[in-house]
Amino acid sequence: MAFYEKIFSALGLKDWCGEAGDGAPLSMADLMAQANGGDAAANGPVFPFPSLDNLNESCATVLQSRDVTKGIENGFLAAKPALKSVLDPITQPLSWMLDGALWLFEVTPWFIMIPILVAISWYASRSKGVTIFVAVSIFLLGLVDHYDVAMQTLSIIFVCTTISVLLGVPIGIAMSKSDNLQRATVPVLDLLQTLPTFVYLIPLIFLFSVTESKLYGIAIILYAIVPVIRLTDLGIRLVDQDVIEAANAFGMNNRQKLLRVQLPLALPNIMAGINQTIMMSLAMVVIASLVSAPGLGVNVLRGIRNLELGVGIVAGIGIVLLAVILDRVSKAALSRVDMTRVKH
Amino acid sequence: MTQPMVSLRGLYKIFGAKDKDMVQFVKDGMSKDDLLAQHKHVLGLNDINVDMQAGEITVVMGLSGSGKSTLIRHLNRLIEPTAGEILIQGEDVMKLSDDDLRTARQQKMSMVFQKFALLPHKTVLKNAGMPLSVRGQDEAACDTEATKWLERVGLKGYENHHPAQLSGGMQQRVGIARALTANTDIMLMDEAFSALDPLIRTDMQDLLLELQKELHKTIVFITHDLDEALKLADHLVILKDGYVVQQGEPQHILLNPNDPYIEDFVSDINRARVLRVRSIMTHLEDGKIPADAHGEVDIDATLESMIAKSGGDTSHAYIVMRDGEAVGTLDMTALVRALVPRAAPEDGARNY
Repeated sequence: MAFYEKIFSALGLKDWCGEAGDGAPLSMADLMAQANGGDAAANGPVFPFPSLDNLNESCATVLQSRDVTKGIENGFLAAKPALKSVLDPITQPLSWMLDGALWLFEVTPWFIMIPILVAISWYASRSKGVTIFVAVSIFLLGLVDHYDVAMQTLSIIFVCTTISVLLGVPIGIAMSKSDNLQRATVPVLDLLQTLPTFVYLIPLIFLFSVTESKLYGIAIILYAIVPVIRLTDLGIRLVDQDVIEAANAFGMNNRQKLLRVQLPLALPNIMAGINQTIMMSLAMVVIASLVSAPGLGVNVLRGIRNLELGVGIVAGIGIVLLAVILDRVSKAALSRVDMTRVKH
Repeated sequence: MTQPMVSLRGLYKIFGAKDKDMVQFVKDGMSKDDLLAQHKHVLGLNDINVDMQAGEITVVMGLSGSGKSTLIRHLNRLIEPTAGEILIQGEDVMKLSDDDLRTARQQKMSMVFQKFALLPHKTVLKNAGMPLSVRGQDEAACDTEATKWLERVGLKGYENHHPAQLSGGMQQRVGIARALTANTDIMLMDEAFSALDPLIRTDMQDLLLELQKELHKTIVFITHDLDEALKLADHLVILKDGYVVQQGEPQHILLNPNDPYIEDFVSDINRARVLRVRSIMTHLEDGKIPADAHGEVDIDATLESMIAKSGGDTSHAYIVMRDGEAVGTLDMTALVRALVPRAAPEDGARNY
C-alpha cells in the first residue's frame, strides 16, 4: 500500500485519482526491485518524500517525474520546426565562414602561413620574446605533424572570436547605456557561463545536423561571447565621470561621446574581455570536437576513446601551446593599448 | 546699466525624488536641516539671484557643501534646476531644446575643471583642439587654433605629450587652453586651481588675470579660498548652505561684512595686502587739492605699499591719482582704522 493513498482518500480525491498507479510506466528503480523479487513500496522509507513518483504510486493521475523530462523533450521537438526555420537561415553564414576559414587555413602553404602568423604576433605585441615564442611553438607543432590540426583549431577560434567581438561589443555598449537591459542580460550571461558546456550541445544537435559546422560554431560563440559583453559593459561604466562631464560641457553628442571618450577609455577592459573570449573559445573547441569540430580536440577525443595515452597528451600539449600563444599575444596587445595612456 | 551676460533669477535646486513639491516648503522658510529631517530632500540652492556682467570675473565663494559647484553646473545645465530662470544674454537656457543646448555649450560657454578632465588617450594638442573638433571643424583648423592657445598658456613644445606626462599645473594649463580654444564669451571655472599647490596656484592666478586683461571674457570662478577670491574677483558672491549671504565688490564686502559668517571669514586675511587705496580714500570735493599732502599715490595701490611709503607715520596724507588726475585724498589715520576688522571674532570660535 502506498503511503500517500490514505491522504488522497481523506481529501476525497479517490475518484479523481482512479485506479492506483498500476498502469503508469515503471521507473528503472521499480523494475530493479521487481526483478529482485521484492515490492518497491514495501522496502521504501516509512515516510517517503512527497515526490511526483511517490505520489503517483498512490494516485495515478499525478504525473511521474519522467513526464517532466519527457515534456521538455516533446515541447522542444514541437517547437523545433519553427525554431529551425528561423535559426537555420540566420546561422547559415556562420557555416560558410567556418568552412571558408578552414579551407583558407588549410590551402595556405605552411611557408606562407607561418610568416603571416609571426608577423601578426609581432604587429599585435611589438615584443621580440612573444614573437620568437610563437615561431618556436608553431615549429614544434609542425615537427610532430600537428601543424594541420593546429591550423584547423586556429581557424575555428579565429572565426568564433571575431563573431563574438562583433556581436559582444555592441551588446555590451547597449547594456552600459541601459540599466534595465543590464538587469535583463546579466542572468542570461550567468546562465551561459554556468550551464555545463555539454548541455547546450544537446538542443543544438536536435536543431542542426551534426555535419553542419555552424553547430559547433554556435556552441563556441554562446560560451565565449560572455566575457567580452561583460567587460565592455563594465569598461564603459567605469569611465571617469569627470571626463564624461567635460565631454558634456563642451557639447558632445552621444555618438561623439561614445566614439571619442567612452570606447577609447574602455579599450583596456574590452581587450581584457577579448583575451578571455579567445581563451574560452579554445576551451570549447575541444568539447566541440564531440560534435564533429575538426582540430586538436579530435586527437584528444581519440586519446580518450581508444586510451591512446601518447596521442591524447601530445594533442593536449598542442592545445596548451596554442592557448599560451593566443594569451601572450593578446595580453601584449592589451598592455600596449594601456601604454599609450601612461607613457612616462 | 547694460544687460548682464548671465543672470540667475530665483534659482532653486533641491535633490530628491519629489523636488518640485519641496520648493514651496523652502519658499516658506524651511531650513536645509529641517528639509532633510522631515522630507528627506537635500536643499542645494536656495533663491539665487546673481547678475554676472560681461567682461568681469565673478567669483562664487563658499565652503564645501555650500552649493557653489552645483551653482556653476546650472549655467550650462549639467544640472537641471528645480525652479528659476537662467538667462544668458537675455535668453532663457531652460527653454533650449537638447540640440540648442548642445550648440550653446559648444559656442557660448567653456568650462575648466578641478580635476582637469582631459582625455588621457589624446595628446595635449588634440585635447586643446577638442572643442573645435566637436563642432566639426577640420583637423588642421583645430590644430592651428590649439597650438596658438597652448603657446599663450606657456605650453609651447609640449603639443605631442600625453596629459599623464605633465604635472598638475601643466595639465590645468591644457585645461585652460582647451577652454580658450573654444573661443566662447563665457568661461566657467570650477575650483580650477584648488588641486594645485600654492606656488603653482599663484602662477595660474596671475596667468588668468593676464589673459583676462587681454581677452575680457565673462568668467565665473568657483573657489573655497578667500585670498584667491579677493585676488581675482570683480564681483564676489558668498554662498552658505545654498543661499547668497552677501554679494558685491570684494573690497566693499571686506570693509562692510553684513553677516557674522563673513566677518569670521575675513578676519583671518591680511587686510593691508588686499585692500586698496580706492576703497578707503576720501573723494576730492570741488577739485581742491590739499596743500599739506606728502605725495601722490595710485588709486590701485595696496594699503601695504602705503604703509611702507609713509614709513609708518600716521600723520601723513596723500593725493590719490587715477590716470594722472587727482581724484581723492588719503589720510593715513583712516588707513590704520581700515585695517582693524569691524568685529573681532570672539575667542576665535567658529560656529558655522
